[in-house]
Amino acid sequence: MATSAVARDVVFALRRKIAKIEGTLAERLAPPSDGQSSAGQPVAGLLVRRNGLASARDFFLPTGVERLDEILGGGLPKAALTEIHGTETRNAGAAAGLTLCLVSHMLRERSRPQDLVLWVGTAEIFREAGFPHAPGLDRLFGLAPGQLLFAEAPKPADALWIAEEAARIDELAAVIVELRGNPRELDLTATRRLHRRAQDAGRPVFLLRHSAVPEPTAAPVRLVAAPAPAVLRRTVLGPLAGSIGPPAFAVEIGKSRTALPGSFILEWNPDARTLEPRRDAVPENRVAVVPPSRGRTHPQAAAGAVLAFRNAAEPAAGDQPPGEQHPAHRRARRAG
Amino acid sequence: MTSHRENNTQRIAALDARAEALGLRRGMGIAEARAMHPGIDVAEADPEADRKLLEGLADWCDRYTPLVALDGADGLFLDVTGCAHLFGGEKALLNDLMMRFFHQGFDVRAGLASTPGAAWAAARYATGHILAPGSERTFLARLPLSALRIDARTKTSLESVGLRTVGSIMDGPRAPLVRRFGAVLIERLDQALGRLEEAISPRLPVAPLSVERHLADPLSLIDDVERLVGLLAATLKVDLERREEGARALELLLFRVDGMVSRITVGTSRPIREPALVRRLFHERLAALGETIDAGYGFDLVRLSALSTALFDARQGDLAGAGSEEGEGLAILVDRVGARFGESAVLEPVPAASHVPERAVSVMPRARSETRKAAASGTGTGKARPAAERPIRLFRVPEPIEVPATEVPDGPPLNFRWRRAMHRVARAEGPERIAPEWWREGGADAPTRDYYRIEDADGRRYWLYRQGLYSAQAVPRWFMHGVFA
Repeated sequence: MATSAVARDVVFALRRKIAKIEGTLAERLAPPSDGQSSAGQPVAGLLVRRNGLASARDFFLPTGVERLDEILGGGLPKAALTEIHGTETRNAGAAAGLTLCLVSHMLRERSRPQDLVLWVGTAEIFREAGFPHAPGLDRLFGLAPGQLLFAEAPKPADALWIAEEAARIDELAAVIVELRGNPRELDLTATRRLHRRAQDAGRPVFLLRHSAVPEPTAAPVRLVAAPAPAVLRRTVLGPLAGSIGPPAFAVEIGKSRTALPGSFILEWNPDARTLEPRRDAVPENRVAVVPPSRGRTHPQAAAGAVLAFRNAAEPAAGDQPPGEQHPAHRRARRAG
Repeated sequence: MTSHRENNTQRIAALDARAEALGLRRGMGIAEARAMHPGIDVAEADPEADRKLLEGLADWCDRYTPLVALDGADGLFLDVTGCAHLFGGEKALLNDLMMRFFHQGFDVRAGLASTPGAAWAAARYATGHILAPGSERTFLARLPLSALRIDARTKTSLESVGLRTVGSIMDGPRAPLVRRFGAVLIERLDQALGRLEEAISPRLPVAPLSVERHLADPLSLIDDVERLVGLLAATLKVDLERREEGARALELLLFRVDGMVSRITVGTSRPIREPALVRRLFHERLAALGETIDAGYGFDLVRLSALSTALFDARQGDLAGAGSEEGEGLAILVDRVGARFGESAVLEPVPAASHVPERAVSVMPRARSETRKAAASGTGTGKARPAAERPIRLFRVPEPIEVPATEVPDGPPLNFRWRRAMHRVARAEGPERIAPEWWREGGADAPTRDYYRIEDADGRRYWLYRQGLYSAQAVPRWFMHGVFA
């Protein structure tokens, strides 16, 4: 205990500066304000100080799926670049759907009408995968047409420029950049620039990529989204045979800070605006037949007790990853 | 020498000094001229190119005054009222203009007078002459009738009765002249003498405000141009502040030393007057234009004009100075992106009252949103949540797909081929029948569409439709219209 408080402050300040230059985990270096050491719990007990607000909750965006949050180390980093990959261009619906699920889930908590979402894409991707259709987004994700902005850029470099400029605009709650393939302009430097902008602004930037080969990226999290067959529609009389229920996604974690592997089948609940893990066997008596009302802050609790129901097969599938799926750049960065 | 076709013969349209020295004249037949001098070089006249050149010159003349009008196929009118002192007087202006044209390789004749008619005559019969106000009468009196801008037929008939100079009709009785030769003659005379007001109509609308800088040393670096735009915008800001306005559209004119003029326009989504902002907008525009702007030997005159202005609602910033930018970030971004990629680069969806999916929402440029909202404030479109499931992405043009088989004629497909890949349908919901809008033109005959929500074996969800119904005559076509999440 030789170092004085002042010296420690200096060290912290320097570390922060270095971390800022390097673009590494600056938030982990912040000392906890209550004086307790956070060394034992690298993630959960962290305190983040950003613009005077100190809270771990502000930093992470919990996806609502327990196991996924655990693997991501608390949730998706809110002030960061997040890559979401679609395996093929025809899976654009699923990849865009997952991105919008995350955006919608984030906006659900602080729903201000002036929060806008900017969707930047190249003319190519809007032609190949379809232009965003506002009525569908409104219905499924609760994003009103007045909340959406689209930007169509002629080339990938232009789309990246728009995204970079947009990332610092306060009115935009989230920026989605959509690109196809592996354009030359989208290298490590470009992702780092986007990431830095997102960090500075404290708002997420989602990089949506279709049919792209995973490359080194500055984004702390990469999710690979693929479509999954939807469950049947739930009705009063039980599942309706032959129907197509709410959207489902097969999500695989391509990169995360904890480097834990995982693959999930997630379902989007359009009414509660939450992501839920797929439960294979749905107990008939436990399902909330009437969905919680949308747009209210305190929906009435469903009748009956909610039981913890964990699919035993699910974690087992994710625990042992195939070895070749982890090149060096997918590994988590060393903290500090 | 150039020729043109007139009354079914090739005639000389224009000729140079050497050809003139050989005794050739305008209007002479080409065959005749060839017979006299077999070695002459004849090119076909190109009035379109001449016109373009004249317009280019008119652009260049913008440096002297914003009021430049084309006069016929070979003349320009410049209204230099209130501009002459900027160039050191009328004499200096005329000398400067003629000198610059001469160095560009043009043979110009110019005259300056208080009325357009007198100036026209001065340019043609006494080039370089400046008529003092009130001296038109004595000047015109000596000139032939063609100095009055009258057509050849009137001139010939006047000459046939012995009236050969302007002076001879100037003091004659007016009524018989009008009766015999038409009102145009007297009108032209009155205009030339200043008895009748004649306004020239400029080719381009005159900007309400503009600031410019003449440069002794031409600029050739785009960075320097940008810096100068910032300085000009600072001057413009003072003028805009005095008018309590902001600019909605700005134009930058770059006059190249050799006479080429580049016009660069940017629009803004809200009135602006901050020099830094103006500079940034032009930075984007210049970056987008890139190589298209060729500085050549440099620009010697840079002008910044506010093409359209609007009331600027000034807001007070807070004491720290941070609040002044509040809420403007997005508008600035929209303007900057618009300056680079065009106004339709940033779009916003506007719901419309239509049940046809592609018309249910229209994407409009964000830059126009304020004017659109002002226009639609009364109607108040009700925010209705769509009742049926709609895809999250819609193809702009529905893509045709091949459907080999359906279970029942009017049922969903069993499988389909889209973009060369076969998709096996696992589940289908529908149909949702969407009829065309019969009240639109051509809508009544259009076939109905039966939409199906399809999930294929891999879990991808699509929105397909069958156009029309099965009948004995035709097999309906299938289209892919959108994808679900």
